[in-house]
Parts: sequence; C-alpha cells; structure tokens
Amino acid sequence: MPYPLDRRGFLRTAGAGAAALGLGGALASCGSDEPSTTTLTWWDYFTLDNFQPGMTRLIKDIEAGVPDVRIERRTFPFAELERQITLGAISGDLPDIAIVDNVSMNTLGGSDLLADLTDRVEQWGQADQYYKGPWDGCQVDGRALGIPNQSNCLALYYNTRMLQDAGARPPTTWDELASAAERLTSGDRYGLALSAIRTEEGVFQFLPFLWQAGGDLDTFATDGATALSFLDDLIAKGSLSEQCVGWTQQDVNTRFLNQRAAMQINGPWQIPTLKEADFDWAVVALPRDKEAATCLGGENWVVMASSDHLDKAWEVLEYTQRPSVLTPYLVSFGNLPARKDLADRGTWASDPALRLFLSQLPLARPRQYGAHYADASQAIAEAEQAVLTGSASPSAAAKTAAGKIDKALGG
Amino acid sequence: MRGRQGLAQEVHRKLEGRRRRGHRPPTHPSPSTSPSASPSARRRRAAYLFCLPGLAFLALFLAYPLFYNVWTSVHDVRLSGLLGGAERFNGLANYRTVLDDPAFWHSVRLSLVFTLGSLACQFALGFALALLFARPFPLNGLLRSLLLVAWLLPPVVSGTLFRWLLDAESGAYNALLRAVGLDTLSRDWLTDPSTSLAGVVLANIWVGVPFNMLLLLVGLHTIDPELHEAAAIDGASPWQRFRRITLPLMRPVSVTVLLLGLIYTFKVFDLVFVMTGGGPVDATRVLSLYVYEVFFRFFRFGEGAAAGLLLLVVPLLTGVFYVRRLRHEDARGGAT
Repeated sequence: MPYPLDRRGFLRTAGAGAAALGLGGALASCGSDEPSTTTLTWWDYFTLDNFQPGMTRLIKDIEAGVPDVRIERRTFPFAELERQITLGAISGDLPDIAIVDNVSMNTLGGSDLLADLTDRVEQWGQADQYYKGPWDGCQVDGRALGIPNQSNCLALYYNTRMLQDAGARPPTTWDELASAAERLTSGDRYGLALSAIRTEEGVFQFLPFLWQAGGDLDTFATDGATALSFLDDLIAKGSLSEQCVGWTQQDVNTRFLNQRAAMQINGPWQIPTLKEADFDWAVVALPRDKEAATCLGGENWVVMASSDHLDKAWEVLEYTQRPSVLTPYLVSFGNLPARKDLADRGTWASDPALRLFLSQLPLARPRQYGAHYADASQAIAEAEQAVLTGSASPSAAAKTAAGKIDKALGG
Repeated sequence: MRGRQGLAQEVHRKLEGRRRRGHRPPTHPSPSTSPSASPSARRRRAAYLFCLPGLAFLALFLAYPLFYNVWTSVHDVRLSGLLGGAERFNGLANYRTVLDDPAFWHSVRLSLVFTLGSLACQFALGFALALLFARPFPLNGLLRSLLLVAWLLPPVVSGTLFRWLLDAESGAYNALLRAVGLDTLSRDWLTDPSTSLAGVVLANIWVGVPFNMLLLLVGLHTIDPELHEAAAIDGASPWQRFRRITLPLMRPVSVTVLLLGLIYTFKVFDLVFVMTGGGPVDATRVLSLYVYEVFFRFFRFGEGAAAGLLLLVVPLLTGVFYVRRLRHEDARGGAT
C-alpha cells in the first residue's frame, strides 16, 4: 500500500510544520512580554492623521507614568466603533479600555459590557471637578460606567462680512435667527446650514431645537411640533436648503467654507479647518426660544467588564485625568476639557471661539434616555426628514414620532 | 499547495501504473469484498477525502453561520445579557414582531420595486447593447471592455459616483437637464422621498447593464447564423427574424440572466447604503437596510436574525428554481 503511506507521511510532515509554527509563535509572544508587564488593549475612533501625534504622546505618557503597563491601541472609523464592540461581545474579543461616543452610553450602559467604576470613582473623589452634563452622561442607573474624555457642544458660526453686508446682527433668539437667515439668503447662498441627516448626527443637531422650545422627548407631540415647524418655515422661506436632509456636519462645514451658507450650526472640532478659511467668521451661542440649550458631544472613557486588568485599566484612566497629562492631550486634539479646573489653562482660555464653546458646556445636555434611545432617535430623525422634505406636516410628523418615542422609552 | 498537487499527481501515476499492470478495478465492486482490499473502494475513499476541505469550508463558513442565525432568530438576544449568555428561547416571537412591523413590509415593497425596476431596465438595455455588440464594427472590443467597468467597480465607488451625479445643486445630471432646456425635469433626486428610489434604481441599472449585456451576448453567439440567413432568403424582415428566431432561442439564456439578476439585486445593500443610507425618511430603506438597522442600530439580534432569514426567502426560492432549471437544461442537452 504505497500511496496511503505517502499521504500519511505528507500529513505528518504538514502537521509537524504547523505545530512548529504554532510553537514558534507562542515562544515569540512569551519572549516579548515580561511577566510583570500588563498589556492593555484600547479601542478608539480617532483615525484622522491630525489626532495621531497627540494620541501617541498620551500613550507614551501613560507607559512612562503608570508602572508596568503597555498599551495596544486599535482605531476604528467613528460609525464602526460601537458596532465593533457589540461584535466583540459576541466573539469574545473586547478591549480593556475604550473611548466611546457619549451617546453610546445609552446602548452600552444597558448591556453588561461596561465595568462598574462606582467605588473607584468615589474613592478618587474628583466628580465635582467635571461639568454636570459630561459627568451625568457617565452615570447609568446610579452607577458610574465611565469618565469623560473631552466634551463639545453645538453653537452658531457666522460669516462676519456677510452679516455686516446684510446689516444683520448675530441672532440670539429664534425670531432673530429666522429673520437673519432670510436676509442672508441670496442667489445660491443660503442663510443657514445645519445637518438633518438620517443618523444620530442629525438628531444631535435637532435636539437643541426641541429643548429650546422648552420640551424634551416626553413632550415631543407638542414641543417637537414647535421645533419642527420652526425648521419647516426656514425651508419654506428658502433660508435653509432642503438638501440638509442629506448633509453630515462635515458637509455643512464645507458649505460654510465655500461661502454658500452665511451661518452654520456646528461644533468646535471644525475650528482647525475653519482657521484656514480666507474670510472672517465668529461663533455665538445657539439662539434661544423658551430656554437656552445645546447638545453635549464628546467621548467617555470606559473599561470593559470582561477585562482581566480592571485595576490597571482604572489606574490608566485616572492617570489621563491629571491636568499635566490631560491639558497637552486636549490641546493637541483641539478639544475642550470636561473638567472645570482646566478652564483657565490651554488654548481654550485664550482662543475666542473655543472660549465660546467652553462657556456653553454648562448648558449642554447629554442624550441620556436609556437602552432604547436608538429607537427614539430614529423616530426623531425620520420625523425631521418627513417635515423638511415636505412629506408630512410638523404636527402630524411630531405625533407619529411621539408615539414611537413613547413606545420605545416607556416600555 | 505544492505538496497537495504533488500528492494528487502521485496518486494518479500510481493508479495508472496499477492499471497497466492489469489491476483494472471492477466497475461495480461487490459488497462482499472488504473495503481495504478493494482498490475501487480505496479510490472512492480517497475521493471523499479530497472533498473534505471543501466540505469543511462549507460547514465553517456557510452551515455554521446559517445555523447560528436560525438559532439566534428563535432566541431573545439583545445587547444586555450578551456576555452572560442569558438568551431565552422565545419560539417564533421574533418572527411575529418582524411580521407585525409595518416598516418591515414597507421595506419588502421597496425591495420588490427596486428589484423589478432594476431588472426590467437592465435586461432591456443589456439586450439592446448585446444586439449591437453582436455585429462587428470598429472599436467593438474596446467599447465592450469599457462598458464592463461599471460592473467591475465596487458598489461603494459607483454609489458615491451617482451621489455626486445626482446631487441637486452641483450634480452633473441636473446641470445636463438645465443645459438642454429641461429645467422642469430637474429634481432633488436623492433628497426627495418621491424620487430617491428612482435615483438608486438608476445607479443600479448602470451597474447591472454590462453583466446582462455580456451574458446575453454569449447567448447570441450560440445562435446559428444560418437560421438568420435562411429566414432572410425566405423574405423575413429583421423584426420578424428578431421576434421569431432570436427571442425564442434566447429564452433559456434570458431566464438564467434574470434569475441571477434577481438573486443579486434583491440582496443589494452597499449601493443604497452609500447613496442614501435608507433615507430620506424611509424612502429607500430596502429589506437589507432594514435588517442592518435592526441589528446595528437597535441591537435587537434575535429580530435581526429573523428578518435576515426572511430576507433570504426570495433569493433562496429563486436559487432553487434556477438550479432545477439548470438540471432540466442539462438533461435536455444530454438527450439531444
């Protein structure tokens, strides 16, 4: 029986080869890891080039400042991170530390994926150093599931020259916003640009209007209708492009940069790009109606409950919050601190635009609605799109959305 | 790889050698002979062994995910309790939730409109182009290759391309309409709920035409030109020749093209996702996007799995029909 022997021989050789490879790999991984060093995996969504120097420096700082720790970082596109964490939960491949969007606390907070940091945070005792919005955003059902990384919010940018030419002043109320937008509209230039896209981004931009109308998700049928009809009027008068239902905030900023929008609603992360613009611009707080309000953005640090190194991970988190570490990191990102005690350090103390955003942080509300927020968010996005594209009246759309919101959040 | 090839060659050589020495294996091995002794049984065993990698692949990448999906679809799987393994069996509750959801049925309707609209236009245009390219003319080969680019581009690229082309303010499509004085036809293609599905279908037609054209062209080449010549001599007009000769003879190819197109089009995701993300409102949220949202926006895995399996129904039925037809064709082909 010559050939089965040959086959067996072949298989044996192949098997030995594979075993040798595996063994080699195992040996190699043993060699590089000293037994006392803890390797922490870390996921975030800061993929852009301009974030890398600051992040590299932060990690170097951590590896130098926290004893016996090594960081292994992986980045994902913004929209991908939450999905990756869920997939990781299924496959068992999760990081120790992650920096997640603050709105993810709704979904992730309802799962058992995040480690409960309540005792550690209490012992640390720095809770009152943070702005209320960002800090509250980390608390889910009375448990601390994270600490803020950086915070941002929305405000109104305007093209200084265009406002002067039109004889308009920066608006402070809805009425002023509407009339300024109307006066600033001419030719192919719109008075105002904002994002009403069918994702969380659009909802992030819409919620301030709902809150300014004096409402919240539980009064969407009435206050939602008020906010929606305000935007509907802007579209009807031509001050806001119907195209905004397809625009991301990046698209909105591009309109503003190309001077095809005289005002835009956007966040502080656009400042570095806007500084290269060849026209003057300034930024003011979002106009108010019954109330002044803006929506909180930014990220939180979280530790995964599945981590084998909870203590080490917490040590790293605590280390990043030291003013000497946090300030250069935030400055390099162009971000704002979530900590009040950093208010008079860093670029945000001197830069007028950043200072305006910082002054709005106390008004910024987190989107903290619990595990079923995603359903409510989708209902809001669809209501806004239905109104802005003219396929439903504000009151009808608000009523439909209110039904879905109540079903999602009530049950 | 070289090892396996070498092995196969060796097996072949040895078998050949055995045949030459007169050990020709019996065509029907009697069951009484012990398997290890019979060379034929050994060969069959070898044949099964060679199937193993393929079977392992199918089991790992097809059967397991499918089974896992079925399992998920009858359990209450959400993000909470994902780590603890606290999934509760809930029978057909997920299916009921999905089937009771008006949004699901809206998506089914959209998917059907999208698929039928795309297929009809792709097929008609593909057929017309195939007829054109079936005749020799200068640059025929070059133009045909260029047309194929649409088929070769990743859907993400063609989706982005069409998003720009159809942009209401700066898109080339509206500019073209304005340039030829058809301003009234210009639209906010992708941001108006009444036209966005048409915009997405348009892009998909562009993507699918070359595929249809290519397969139909191959079909056209199999038609014996003598049939046309004979008909022409008998005085048949070109239209009659097309109706009476080309169309009937193209039937089998056409059905194949349409069935493959149906399977391919019904499960479209990337193109729509890139172009509209399902919006505005829910005007282009086809079935695959619905499933995606249940999974990755709402994290209701049980319902998502159920909806995903329901999404499989149409392509699966089409696939079964297609395979049965193929067999039928083969049988007929063998008989003649």
